[in-house]
Amino acid sequence: MRDFSYLRASSVDAAQLASALPGAMLLAGGTTLVDLAKCGVAEPDTLVDITHLKGLDAITVDDRGATIGALAKMSGVADHADIKSRFPAVSEALWQAASAQIRNMATIGGNLMQRTRCPYFRDGENFPACNKRAPGSGCSAIGGVTRGHAVLGTSEACIATYPGDLAVALVAFDALVHLGDRQVAVDDFFLLPGATPEREHAIQPGEVITAISIPGTPAARRSTYLKVRDRQSYEFAAASAAVGIEFEADGRTIRDLRVALGGVATKPWRARGVEEALRGKVLEPDAVKRASLLAVEGAVDHGANHYKIELAPRVVARAILKLGETA
Amino acid sequence: MTSKTRIPIQLQINGRQHELEVEPRVTLLDALRDHLGLTGTKKGCDHGQCGACTVHVDGERVLACLTLAVQAEGRAVTSIEGLAQEDGTLHAVQAAFLEQDAFQCGYCTPGQIMSAVACIREGHAGSDDEIREYMAGNLCRCGAYPHIVAAVRQAAAEVAS
Amino acid sequence: MTVHMKRHGESKRGDASDGREAVGGRLSRVDGPPKITGAAKYAVEQQLDGLAYAVLVESTIAAGKVRSIDTEAAESAPGVLRVLTPDNIPPLKTASDWLGTPPPDAPYYPLARDITFSGQHVAAVVAETFEQAVAAAALVKVSYDEAPAIVDLSDAKAGDGIPIDAMTKEWGDAEAAFAAAPVRICAAYNTPREYQAPMEPHGLIARWQGDQLTVWEPSQWLDGMARTYAEWFGVPFENVRLVSPYIGGGFGSKALALGHGAVAAIAARMLERPVRLVMTRPQTFTGYGGRAATRQTVTIGADAEGKIQSIVHRGVNETSIDGMWVEPLGSTTSIMYATPNFSSRQNVVRVNSVVPGAMRAPGENPSAFGIESAIDELAYEVGIDPLEIRLRNYAEEDPHAKKAWSTRQLREAYAVGAERFGWSKRSPQPRSMRDGNQLIGWGVAAGTYPVRRAYGEAMVRILADGSVEVESSSIDMGQGTYTILAQTAAETLGVPADNVVVKLGDSRFARAGVTGGSRLAGVMTGAVHKAASAALDELVALAISDPRSPFHALQANTLVVANGRIASPRGDGPEVSIAELLASVGRDRIEAKGDTMPANSTAEERYKNYTTIAMALPHTEGDYSRYSWCAHFIEVRVDEDFGTVRVSRVVSALDSGRLYNPKLAESQWKGGIIMGIGQALLEEGIVDRRHGRIVNNNLADYLVPTNADIPDIEVISVGIPDPHSSALGGKGVGELAIVGVAPAIANAVFHATGKRIRDLPITLEKLI
Repeated sequence: MRDFSYLRASSVDAAQLASALPGAMLLAGGTTLVDLAKCGVAEPDTLVDITHLKGLDAITVDDRGATIGALAKMSGVADHADIKSRFPAVSEALWQAASAQIRNMATIGGNLMQRTRCPYFRDGENFPACNKRAPGSGCSAIGGVTRGHAVLGTSEACIATYPGDLAVALVAFDALVHLGDRQVAVDDFFLLPGATPEREHAIQPGEVITAISIPGTPAARRSTYLKVRDRQSYEFAAASAAVGIEFEADGRTIRDLRVALGGVATKPWRARGVEEALRGKVLEPDAVKRASLLAVEGAVDHGANHYKIELAPRVVARAILKLGETA
Repeated sequence: MTSKTRIPIQLQINGRQHELEVEPRVTLLDALRDHLGLTGTKKGCDHGQCGACTVHVDGERVLACLTLAVQAEGRAVTSIEGLAQEDGTLHAVQAAFLEQDAFQCGYCTPGQIMSAVACIREGHAGSDDEIREYMAGNLCRCGAYPHIVAAVRQAAAEVAS
Repeated sequence: MTVHMKRHGESKRGDASDGREAVGGRLSRVDGPPKITGAAKYAVEQQLDGLAYAVLVESTIAAGKVRSIDTEAAESAPGVLRVLTPDNIPPLKTASDWLGTPPPDAPYYPLARDITFSGQHVAAVVAETFEQAVAAAALVKVSYDEAPAIVDLSDAKAGDGIPIDAMTKEWGDAEAAFAAAPVRICAAYNTPREYQAPMEPHGLIARWQGDQLTVWEPSQWLDGMARTYAEWFGVPFENVRLVSPYIGGGFGSKALALGHGAVAAIAARMLERPVRLVMTRPQTFTGYGGRAATRQTVTIGADAEGKIQSIVHRGVNETSIDGMWVEPLGSTTSIMYATPNFSSRQNVVRVNSVVPGAMRAPGENPSAFGIESAIDELAYEVGIDPLEIRLRNYAEEDPHAKKAWSTRQLREAYAVGAERFGWSKRSPQPRSMRDGNQLIGWGVAAGTYPVRRAYGEAMVRILADGSVEVESSSIDMGQGTYTILAQTAAETLGVPADNVVVKLGDSRFARAGVTGGSRLAGVMTGAVHKAASAALDELVALAISDPRSPFHALQANTLVVANGRIASPRGDGPEVSIAELLASVGRDRIEAKGDTMPANSTAEERYKNYTTIAMALPHTEGDYSRYSWCAHFIEVRVDEDFGTVRVSRVVSALDSGRLYNPKLAESQWKGGIIMGIGQALLEEGIVDRRHGRIVNNNLADYLVPTNADIPDIEVISVGIPDPHSSALGGKGVGELAIVGVAPAIANAVFHATGKRIRDLPITLEKLI
């Protein structure tokens, strides 16, 4: 790990100022940043520790929705009674992520800034080419070991999978990222790689994530997060789905449906095609399975990750049908 | 406070204040092991992938390998060396690990025990399946898992009674 | 209690009913307290003044030459003491191999100029602090002339490999019998590179004091590694001290001195300071070898009732460009079932990888994946129960050695395991058992491991306070050596186990051979029993014959020692503690070093016995063939949409002979089963074929089971004491239980899904 200076921010304003310094990076839970600094991928000159800022870890939930301070810990949000009851998919996405220890460290703001697990991105010594790490150097993953790589949202420059779980639930329920006074929809906060995979988030130098907010909706209240992986726990998703559903008064006809995918795309992936196909329809297994195929519309595989194209729609269908069973 | 060179920090570990000078890049794990001689906390991967370095910071289980030592300033750190009472009386989890033979080589054990203490305190030891899930962040290559579950179950019952 | 009969010089052995402290009792791990309190100091945790920190720099190509190494930036980085390269380190001497074969008279450079695999050590940086060494190592720039690499077995350049004639086992006319058999199956079974991944990474501290080298290093073989260091540096064996009181897991990977150890010892000598070098987790995937990737074809010819007429087996394993590793793939194949005709042959193929190494049951494990999958396929082909076909082909004697089994409780294992598992309720058709979206499958497979035997040595001291000290340079990496040797000494001497202190892991202690091949418990309980018996002989002789002894007047010819007290067996005369007796006769200790080597062994033979494996005793020596046995019954649940496999139930019945401590043996068995679950479902070193490099070289990507992957596991001992296998009747524990787990799971997956997976691991994409 390269040497760096350490600076403890005493206020959000100070953090904003310091983070705009060349080579400065914000340090919260450290579970991504310290890891990547050890890999030589992150090479900060200055770390601006924001974990001592007061008042940024509050969780408030009411009928309009939830507002979660950027410094709230993943574990605290996962176990929060109102998040569990009103946003089950959010709680489930959180407790199925990483490990209990990491969830006690990692903050919600930092979680949004989590970076890909692409092995070529993480190992610059052995694989110098990575457009995300070294813009213009090429992509080592294409043509390499691609079992974990994305099938949706890829470009010729990058096929790295977005690894997180929480943001998948957030994108399903139209959450907003608060950057001080500015607010950005989570779906817009995450950028497709395109020709500039090094740009992952719609955040500007000097901006600090202060909170996220999630609108309270019936679909968010009746929601789930289903995560499929090789190992039962402590692993990133092979494919996952955040799904929320609202029925008409008949209890069978779908009024509102939210579907987002994880583990298969370069960013948290909202599957609006599935939502539109089923909205207004009666929940019925064959129809759900057919519509779920739309989740991977436009998917492109790179050999070893082909299974994700098969798997993702099945995960979506299972999650939708599971919510239907609880009617 | 800004420095690339060594900076003086104070760490409260197992109820005692320690003063040391470290570079900001020194992790809590290396500070414990290399600077303070508290080697009970283990390094298995140094990247948050195994759980061997689990300690408590302000009563919550965290990974010392991804925590900078300087970040722990002003917080209460508990390592495996601070778990038993001063007179040597074992914590219920430690005693249960011994009784259930919940370890073999012993290298993941301090992390398992620190994790288990927190798992019970968090209320995540309600069933065997819940214990398995909430202890999944501590890898054990010797394969002591079924006995770890038994030990956590036993200690949770003792702590509750 | 121990009765000592002076005339016969033999003590009565305890049995399992003697309580937890005797041999066979469920004494808790005596090394437990330091391990659960953090007090146990592992090798690299020694706090030494002046310690410097070394970090390795490794090759980023798989084949070629180092053109140049630019060390300028690293050398001028803060805190850097030295950058070691092939050009500035002194050459070492080539050391002999583990058989003790005299080495070529050639220099050995642990930092390479010629690159034969990605991840080879090419340089090292030593600095004042760990952080400085890590940072400076990233500044070392190596340039290469790259050459084409052979990336793995399937590489077109790999060829068919080198036939290993010593692996050929043949009897009858297997090809002809196969051709004539009414039922024939033939299939190929593959296992990938797998890694031991002990939780404690490899590393060491090396310190020179003049010509004396001390190495604190996790080690499965102190004396063997001390020999290698001594030969490398051209110093006498006695000048090298290995210290390894606790070992954070080895599974075969910590038995030999490796290149990184040589680098650290060179650095310590060059800098005249103690040097610590610990591999990063990624370096542990290339700094030494895991289990070799293997390919097998198994063909079985049988009659219509499923009675085997012929087995033809061909195996291939990977080795490195300049090293030789043979994973004996016909080992289980050749002994598990009775067959009149058999042929097994094996090749090894050179690829650009680190030389593979020993990993829990090398040979028997992948071999069992082949034959135990194939027999299952035969059962379906014939249409009989997979358990029944195993009984129909039960080998009543060793079909290869043509000798009687010393003990083989495999039939009992099948019966007990099937009963506990409820096998009789199994619905025979694949895909016939389900629970919602989950297909349920039940599978069975057997496992075996040979009883490897060797001579051992131990020091036993009875001290003035009546306590007992046992010393051995053998080790405890979690198998329970500390505990079972305390039990053995306690039982032999008639003292409480609490009064016995066992000291291990220092090459200055009584010598010991390798801890590998599941041999340590049998070897060391025998040695401690012998040494303790000699000490007891001396104690009783003193008590009877020393004029100052309270027993002198008794004119007894035998005395009883129980619970640390000495008395006449008839109950007449005095009763005194050992401490009182020693005080009365004016002795501060009784010391007995015992070994189990033939009495006329030379010093050279003794050295060879402990520092090589050349003197190991064949498991088919004499009239018997000696193996441990087991049968695994496993239930899996396969999600029919997702292809994910979870093991939901395991019942294993195992024959390891007599258990010295069932509590610890059960732990080791379960550990082996859990590693087998990882092998079956998760573990695979994945090679980037363009770079010849393992990509998933860390614990987030090389998946080992977590707690959440493991159900309750029931293990049942069906062993009986085997007097032909060891002094106290045990066979082997550590490796046995992994053997057969992967095929039992693959067989269960077939039963659940109707899909036969012959390539490990059984990952979800193979089932959807």
